[in-house]
Amino acid sequence: MIQVMLVLHVLVGAALLGALTHQSFSVARKPSAPARSFVDRFRGVNSPTFTNVIVWLFAVNVLVGGLLYPRYRVDVRPTLEDLQLRAANGIFEMKEHFAAVALGLLPAYWLAWRPPLSVDRADTRKYLTWILAFTAWWSFVVGELLNNIKGMFP
Amino acid sequence: MIASARFNVFSIVYGVAYMGLFFWNELYHTALFRYYPVLSTFSREDRSLENAGPAILWYSWLFGAAVISAVVTVVVPRSVAERLGQAWIWAVPVALFVVIFVYERRWFY
Repeated sequence: MIQVMLVLHVLVGAALLGALTHQSFSVARKPSAPARSFVDRFRGVNSPTFTNVIVWLFAVNVLVGGLLYPRYRVDVRPTLEDLQLRAANGIFEMKEHFAAVALGLLPAYWLAWRPPLSVDRADTRKYLTWILAFTAWWSFVVGELLNNIKGMFP
Repeated sequence: MIASARFNVFSIVYGVAYMGLFFWNELYHTALFRYYPVLSTFSREDRSLENAGPAILWYSWLFGAAVISAVVTVVVPRSVAERLGQAWIWAVPVALFVVIFVYERRWFY
């Protein structure tokens, strides 16, 4: 069951990364000409349509992460301590704090992206999207590092 | 739109409350409750590692922050929620992320 949840956690995280990265690029700068380059096409998505999916994926992934956490606390963290990998513990501590703060931002994020998109909320949309994207990337990379840490530090 | 302006209040207060509860625990070693995964039980007691295994406090910070922010969201007058500057909504979490980076760098020394 743990293995199934871990795979689910990774898959939902990957989907979240894709959606948030698209949206983050799209709010960075408005395209002034027809999209030609890969980056322009990557950025040229219909951003508001991602919002509800991102909220659900984020909430579900925090929930699945929360269900996996006891196993981490009992099995993984003592291993990190035995291996004296303090930095690995530290980046996971940061992950849990970032995820918690970002979880609380979801209502404001959803509101900022609710149509009609007003100009006075443009900065809020942009920065909240970037904060969520940063959190998703940090969490994903840290999760993968810790999952593979025995192979990286034999 | 008027009613949902309270969403912004919830989001701002949630992060502050979460970090507040975390630092409260760091300073006084107390928490609303702890989860002991080895025993599969929640407890308000701070049990010893030998008897109960490691404790998880993260759940209590999340739960406490949700309760505090929900109460504040309901209590704050609607007029105040509507007047809240947009910059607060993203500047507060950015500041919290900086605090997290600064505090947790202790793991890297």
